[in-house]
Amino acid sequence: MIRMLLRVLGPEYARAMRRTVALMTITAVVEGLSYALLVPVLRELFGSTPDDAVPWLIAFGAAVAVYAVLRYVSDLSGMRVGTTMLHGMYYRLGEHLARLPIGWYNAGRVGEVSVMASRGLLQAMGVAAHLLAPFVSALVTPLTIVAVMIAFNWQLGVAALIAAPVVAAIQTWTARSMAGTDAERHERDKEASGRVIEFLQAQPVLRAGGRTGERFELLDDSLREVQRASRRTVLAVLPGAVGLTLTVQVGFTALLALGASLALGGTIGAAEVLTILVIAARCADPLLSLSDIGAGLRGAQSEIERLDKVLSTEPLPEPREPVQPGHHELAFESVTFRHGERMVFDDVSFSVPEGQRLAVVGPSGAGKSTLLQLLARFYDVDTGTVRMGGVDVRQISTEVLMAQIAIVFQDVYLFDSTIEENVRLGRPDADEADVRAAAAAARLDEVIERLPGGWAANVGEGGALLSGGERQRVSIARALLKNAPVVLLDEVTSALDPVNEAAVHEGIERLMAGRTVVMVAHRMRTVQRADRVLFLEGGRIVEEGAHDELLRRGGRYSDFWNISMAPVASE
Amino acid sequence: MNAIDVAGARERSTPTRLFDSVGEQSLSRLLRPHVRSFAAVVILQVVGALAGLAPLLAVAELGRTLLASGPIDEDHVWLVVIAGAVGLFVRLLFTAASSGLGHMLDGQAQLTLRRQLAARLGRVPIGWFSRRRTGELAKVVGEDVSAVHPLIAHAPGELVSAFVVPLASLIYLFTVEWRMTLITLIPVVMAIALVPLLMLPARTREQEEFDAAMGRIADSVVEFVQGISVVKAFGGSGRAHGKFLSAVDDFVSTFLRWVRGMSLVAAGMQLALSPPFVLLVILIGGTSLITSDGMAPADLLPFLLLGLGLTAPVAALGHGFDDMQAAGRAVGRIKEVLEVEPLPEPVHPVVPQGHRVELRDVRFGYEDDREVLRGIDLVLEPGTSTAVVGPSGSGKSTLVQLLPRFFDPTHGSVVLGGVDLREIGSRQLYRMVSFVFQDVRLLRASVTDNIALAVPHAERDDVVRAARLANIHDRILELPHGYETVIGEDIKLSGGEAQRISLARALLADTPVLVLDEATAFADPQTDHAIRQALATLGSDRTILVIAHRLETVADADTVVMLENGAIVERGRPAELLAVDGKFAAFWRSQGGELR
Repeated sequence: MIRMLLRVLGPEYARAMRRTVALMTITAVVEGLSYALLVPVLRELFGSTPDDAVPWLIAFGAAVAVYAVLRYVSDLSGMRVGTTMLHGMYYRLGEHLARLPIGWYNAGRVGEVSVMASRGLLQAMGVAAHLLAPFVSALVTPLTIVAVMIAFNWQLGVAALIAAPVVAAIQTWTARSMAGTDAERHERDKEASGRVIEFLQAQPVLRAGGRTGERFELLDDSLREVQRASRRTVLAVLPGAVGLTLTVQVGFTALLALGASLALGGTIGAAEVLTILVIAARCADPLLSLSDIGAGLRGAQSEIERLDKVLSTEPLPEPREPVQPGHHELAFESVTFRHGERMVFDDVSFSVPEGQRLAVVGPSGAGKSTLLQLLARFYDVDTGTVRMGGVDVRQISTEVLMAQIAIVFQDVYLFDSTIEENVRLGRPDADEADVRAAAAAARLDEVIERLPGGWAANVGEGGALLSGGERQRVSIARALLKNAPVVLLDEVTSALDPVNEAAVHEGIERLMAGRTVVMVAHRMRTVQRADRVLFLEGGRIVEEGAHDELLRRGGRYSDFWNISMAPVASE
Repeated sequence: MNAIDVAGARERSTPTRLFDSVGEQSLSRLLRPHVRSFAAVVILQVVGALAGLAPLLAVAELGRTLLASGPIDEDHVWLVVIAGAVGLFVRLLFTAASSGLGHMLDGQAQLTLRRQLAARLGRVPIGWFSRRRTGELAKVVGEDVSAVHPLIAHAPGELVSAFVVPLASLIYLFTVEWRMTLITLIPVVMAIALVPLLMLPARTREQEEFDAAMGRIADSVVEFVQGISVVKAFGGSGRAHGKFLSAVDDFVSTFLRWVRGMSLVAAGMQLALSPPFVLLVILIGGTSLITSDGMAPADLLPFLLLGLGLTAPVAALGHGFDDMQAAGRAVGRIKEVLEVEPLPEPVHPVVPQGHRVELRDVRFGYEDDREVLRGIDLVLEPGTSTAVVGPSGSGKSTLVQLLPRFFDPTHGSVVLGGVDLREIGSRQLYRMVSFVFQDVRLLRASVTDNIALAVPHAERDDVVRAARLANIHDRILELPHGYETVIGEDIKLSGGEAQRISLARALLADTPVLVLDEATAFADPQTDHAIRQALATLGSDRTILVIAHRLETVADADTVVMLENGAIVERGRPAELLAVDGKFAAFWRSQGGELR
């Protein structure tokens, strides 16, 4: 458990962690040993000269003082280590998430990752701060006490010792049998959390479908599953907890009986027996708390395992000796790419000379957006090569590659902050004038004028407070600001209303000027601005050439446009 | 039987009062159906815990017998040992039963709570969501309900026994030796004296900040993951988005501040309650009483054994304090959601006659000081289609969202079939109005379920017919499991495909009023075509309101409404408006270059 924690954390935290565990162990041993002093204290008190107990009592007081100091230091150290680890862990997770390929992020991940990053991490790291000390003390103090007992009376000590392996066995068995239930329960929680997010985001649709809360079975089913899983957890945890209690209680009863018979037989003084029973009673509570602590530790452990799984998911490999592309010609060479089961590209080759514009056209699902994503290396191809400036993109460091490319996505996501900050993402160190110029070129300035708060207006979660067209303009401004030699456009102008579309074309035109451009196009107006057109269908390039030439050819490409021009059959 | 009933009645009020002490009547109201089970949990726990005193008393009694002068009464010794063993066994049975029952109850109560939350969230005005974060709300339904766990599963039994058991011990100890009892209470008093320090306003504020910081992490991580493609394209691939990291920094420093504020006081409390310290106090007191006042040494034993148990209430409070406080705050957030006013349902729903839609002097603003719609008067006749055009931000989307009653107008009314929407039951309304909006949300469910969302028991043939009409049927057949393909799991659909599914959804619902935001964002030629085809086919008696972006759609409409800045600036037949050569004509010309 600790070992896995250390592995997940990396070596920099290992030392602090070990020191903390050592401190906690020493504290627990000191507590156990201090109880040894109770024997002489009580022997004197129960004897004929109670006054003789005073020196022993002073010694006990000193031991308690040592224990108090140690405990404070070790608790504080636990808190500190826990916090440092939490901080480090968040950073590691954050940076790792940013490096994972886009393909890793499927629908369920948002819920999973957000649970992991909020409650999950806190729970995992809380181990050091909250659970480790009680756990160490619940194990070490009773063991020390048993050692003390053996020292005073071996029969009673051995009787107590017998319980130790049983307790250990029960703990191990419970942990093992619980792992499955815990995992299942987590799975249900995750499922439900995803459903809740879906339920919230799809409210408009669900309302229109007349599906208010009680009728939305997808959510209700997953909530019921959560309850079932929690019931199974309770049933699974009960035997372990009962077994542990039973063992501890049988052990205590045995000590009671054995102590009584030894005392009756005269082999041991009454004071010793009674003291041993008093400190044995002291053992019971920490031992019983083991089952609660165990559950907490298991929860943290499965959280750490999940974390470990995410952290050990390989991001796209970085080149060992990165190459700097000299120019910006883009090329696919016999590229094959699968997305899950689906073959997206099957032996696709093409090239875009530096400074030229390529339009990619095709029906939905033809892989147009994926083509752009492969150029930006959001995924790696299965076979073949994607090249920039003649260099395999896998040979270019991600930083350098990203610096060459400005992307305007189809699906604009804005961060919940001001418009300015969202634009500035394009080039964080840009000066004021550049930011304003980019905004003006994307006709964002009009939007800003209208909004209360202007530049400082908040865009809401995902940009929800802006209209689709307004969001798109922010993303164009962002790309303009970035000023990269390669521009990837995913049907940019379609979201703008016609009144402003012409104006934005100006900005797009500026964005494309003198740059190497690949654009996914759904509208003929966009396509006409390209030097060449590539018609994609079923994972292959079906036709390729200049727009007019392809139209004249009367093949798939001209059919494609004719559908949208065709008069609609009316009744 | 009577005795049990009486005991039950006496206990019945206990859990309720407990929750009230956390200040949450609403929760106790929710839990009222479970009151009997709660009483059982508490009784079992108390009996079990009291039985747990037996072995300790047995040791004390054993001491008295062994230390007594004169010959030892062996039978008595063995009787004491057996009594101790029996006590332990009873304790085991009762606490296990109590804990099992409590946890079962907890699962049940959590399910009830979550269902209530979902039901309420399904009824609040859609506008309410735009001011909330999905992550925060999901946390309320998920984590916050889970955080109530200690309150339900642990608090009633454990808290009650944490007070009953020490009380019983205390009474017993007083009968043994009253001065010694007072001495034994010293550590408890010390710990209690420190409690107010934990509840200083500063501490409470830190606690709230801590929760808020936690919430910000959850939000920023949702945002971070959803915006990952932007992060990767702009953020420099190895660098996580700054907002997430600053939320983390913020959280950690809040946490540290909180720890720093608490640590000394907490350590003081822990020391006061720790077994070595308690034993030390008892021994010092005991030694002085034995040496100076001749207290019987055997009388010290009960204090050594039971004295530790006296700290239980404070320990239970301190130990469960964080959890309970967290639970209390979680309950507060749950309550907040449960108390949101739902979009009011009419008490006496009226059934609309026909499906003529009228907007009468409709005004609306998301915020008080910013009106988005400023006095809209508009009539949509059955059998006609009305196209809304206008620049972005002119209020088009808001206007069409009033028809499915996502919001109620702040002034004026929306009337369907002669009845104000506020007078129509929501079931009835949704049987009459369907929509296709730009922001398409598909559910992680099969294609069929997604299309049949509004018509849960639709025939397969009807689903297929709608899919065909929406021009998505062929694409569906190509999917791995055809109509049973689970969207978002087996396959991710492109924007245009999602829009066509959503169109099929509306076509299947087959409502007399159709509201359509002509898709622009992802539309591809097929989707364009499908939408126009659908509009043309539906025609006949329907009332159609469409936000138009395409020239063809505008030309096909019976009426065009030009919206600017929340007001209608021009309206009429497309040809008429062109003749007038006003704002619409300018719009038309700007479109002119669009085709050919």
